[in-house]
Amino acid sequence: MSLILSRNLSRKKVMSNDGMLIGTLRNVMVDFDTGQVIDLIVVPDPSFNAEGYRMDGDRMFIPFEAVKDIKDYIVVDRYLSKK
Amino acid sequence: MITQITELFGLSVYTDKAAYVGDVEDVVIDVDAKKIDSLAIGNLNPDFVDIKGFKGIKVPFRIIKSIGDIIVIRHLSGSFAAQKEI
Repeated sequence: MSLILSRNLSRKKVMSNDGMLIGTLRNVMVDFDTGQVIDLIVVPDPSFNAEGYRMDGDRMFIPFEAVKDIKDYIVVDRYLSKK
Repeated sequence: MITQITELFGLSVYTDKAAYVGDVEDVVIDVDAKKIDSLAIGNLNPDFVDIKGFKGIKVPFRIIKSIGDIIVIRHLSGSFAAQKEI
């Protein structure tokens, strides 16, 4: 079981499992009623093609389902992250 | 209610017997379960939580009753000294 403090998450880099840099984490969406973590809010890297992702202005949403692990980087699954 | 996690920081925590516990300093996320595990509470009310050598307590998410302008948790009589310290 890996527990992390959410303040440690801010400004962490988000990578896909094929080694591409996606961007920087800005915030996390949670459901207060169930405690479920829903989405990561990511500011995409200028070199990243955000086509096919859920966007809101310049922010990108990645479902927390896609998160593989969080250590020094946040690693997300490439296919699950496009839902 | 779906909101950004940073909205929680700094909220005051009270029990359902209207006793002030402290303020939210951080949120502990369980990455595998994809859930909020607990809230880290600082700025504790010394009359209520009597622990020496610790700055805060962790309140498990399951004892939280509601979250709005403040956070209301279940009042566990006499058990707050036994809460898990950080």
